[in-house]
Amino acid sequence: MSEERKIRVLIAKPGLDGHDRGAKVIALGLRDEGMETIYTGLRQTPEQIVRAAIQEDVDVIGLSCLSGAHKYLFPRVVELLKEQGIKDILVIGGGNIPKEDIPFLKEKGIKEIFTQGTMVGEIADYIRKNVRTQATRA
Amino acid sequence: MSNDIEKIQKKKQAWEDKVLKPALEGFGLKESPTKSYTPADIEGFDFLSKVGFPGEYPFTAGIYAAQPGMPDPRVGRATAQRRSGPRAARLVRAAGYSGYGTAEDTRDYYKEMQKRGDRGGPNLAFDLPTQCGYDSDNPMIRGDVGKVGVTVDTLRDFEIIYETFQGETELDRIASNFTINAPANIIIAMYFALSEKRGIPLEKLRATPQNDILKEFVARGTYIFPPKPSMRMFRDSMVFLNKYCPRINITSAGGYHIRGAGATREQDLAFSMAILIAYLQEGVNAGLDIDSFAPRFTINQFGGSMEMFKEIAFHRASRRMYARIVKERFGAKSERSMLLRGGRMGAHIGCENTTIQRPLNNLTRSVIGAVASALSGGEGTAYPPYDEPLIMGRGLESSQLARDATRIVHYEAKLGEVRDPLAGSYYIESLTDEIEEAAQKELNKIETMGGAVASIENGYMQREVAKSAQARQRRIESGEDLMVGVNCFVSEDELELEIKHLVPPAYDPVRREQAEEKQIRNLTELKKNRDNRTVTQLLKELKEKAKKEDENLIPHFIECAKAYVSEQEMCDILREVFGEYEPVSL
Repeated sequence: MSEERKIRVLIAKPGLDGHDRGAKVIALGLRDEGMETIYTGLRQTPEQIVRAAIQEDVDVIGLSCLSGAHKYLFPRVVELLKEQGIKDILVIGGGNIPKEDIPFLKEKGIKEIFTQGTMVGEIADYIRKNVRTQATRA
Repeated sequence: MSNDIEKIQKKKQAWEDKVLKPALEGFGLKESPTKSYTPADIEGFDFLSKVGFPGEYPFTAGIYAAQPGMPDPRVGRATAQRRSGPRAARLVRAAGYSGYGTAEDTRDYYKEMQKRGDRGGPNLAFDLPTQCGYDSDNPMIRGDVGKVGVTVDTLRDFEIIYETFQGETELDRIASNFTINAPANIIIAMYFALSEKRGIPLEKLRATPQNDILKEFVARGTYIFPPKPSMRMFRDSMVFLNKYCPRINITSAGGYHIRGAGATREQDLAFSMAILIAYLQEGVNAGLDIDSFAPRFTINQFGGSMEMFKEIAFHRASRRMYARIVKERFGAKSERSMLLRGGRMGAHIGCENTTIQRPLNNLTRSVIGAVASALSGGEGTAYPPYDEPLIMGRGLESSQLARDATRIVHYEAKLGEVRDPLAGSYYIESLTDEIEEAAQKELNKIETMGGAVASIENGYMQREVAKSAQARQRRIESGEDLMVGVNCFVSEDELELEIKHLVPPAYDPVRREQAEEKQIRNLTELKKNRDNRTVTQLLKELKEKAKKEDENLIPHFIECAKAYVSEQEMCDILREVFGEYEPVSL
């Protein structure tokens, strides 16, 4: 506990959507908030995202999608994490998500959805409050 | 004149001391929240060289001498005249940017739109698998099939979409738009294969492919191959279209995606110009005469922000800058080559400035955009519809309101009566100069790096845009930049307005859900039943041809299309030969 481990966040773009202004802004913004962020780049399959999350030993996965494919892609990431027996990674999402899809996504294990106009500070606060870091895991 | 300027400067100083300062003190302010401009801000302003007449070099005042912006309204009661439509043939309303699910879904959508009075060709939105060179049956891309546009795997899909376009709307009587970039050559080859089957000669086809691959690396992200082979693909379409298709535009390039990704106004203009220069140079390198192909360069949209005057100045600066580059750098003789043509919208607000919070406010925003559009030389277009950020949106009501706003700006406010009405304004002229100079400085920097392709390869443009996006976000979070309903005026005293759609969506949600499975079934069936020996042979030949840098691949793409070779099958061969683009890190 002597050296506090920084919260590690993977910002990922599942699917083929190329609109990554939001993803990049969040990745850079959470870095400003004192977290370690890794941005996957575009066109990641759910499998690739889960693999990267494990390799990078992250505490949080932030998914971003603006193409309307979130209803398939977001739950798929949670499903794959479960298959790997991983329970302590916080999965959150954002992008162009219609309000009516949010209950469905939450039911599928995406803990929170942040839509357009959300301040990065708000996301950082949410992560700090809800993440289970290595320290708490141990 | 210089005496006058001196006098004005002195007077201004005196005004600041005697009038402004006491006023500010009265408000308890140190600095004035407003500015004022005088002739001193445009000292040496030369109307003929800086502005000139509409439709004449340097086109600051507009690319056309006169512009009938809108169709004549038919005055009177509705029903009968709605069917007969507007009078002027060239102003017939074409369908908006659209494409849904499977080819059948899109065909039916256009059929419906024709019933409602559309007579133009389709303005096709493709789904992301099509834009990125993947077939619907590829398990890697599950979830994206038929989203954001129609899926096109093979010529069969084009045959189905265009079933709606026959007779009065036969291929030689309509213009098609294809929002496609990386695989643009394959998609237009499919269109050529379709026209051949229908017996329509290439020279009669009218179309505009977006075909602006370089901006995909900076914004939007539907690249496939690295920048250099991508430029070879661009060269192939440019040379082919130049030779056989006089009525097909070569590109519809545009900076608004780059702005939407976060670029500043000056970056947007500089990057767009650098990209256009790269395309023009490619044509010159291919041995084409600049005046033979530059007139068929068009632009999509430029710019986009809520800062109305700056956007108007930006459009004036863009027209002037492009004209100067084509004339001075490329030595064009024909004025047709120098037109920044196609951006009929002119200034606009940029879709990224619409909000999901109190979404009807987007209508107010788009009306400000419509005013900017009209004053910048555009058609006074209110864009986008207010439900733009709601993804499922583009409800018919919001489109109606956007069209009406445009009409009100034109017919009631009469903003289209004067060309370049802000010309000569001390503020607008100095702003126009300022934006052009800043963009030129940034363009020079890119030129030093080796131009657009080099500054994309080394990641400069991508990183600069990300930096600007982050800077904007910081300004929003700190409250330096304000967005109503987002980071200000959000207290409980405000009324949170919700919108409800009264008219059902154009694309049935049930069909939407089923599109992916249906398309996969269709494609599996097609792949089973086509002549697969020919397919294998054609793909083998494609590989050989792709390896030869000088070979123009379009004729072979047409042969492939006719044999129902799929888009991904062609792209996979090209991936083997060209490689795939590896994005730069943040």
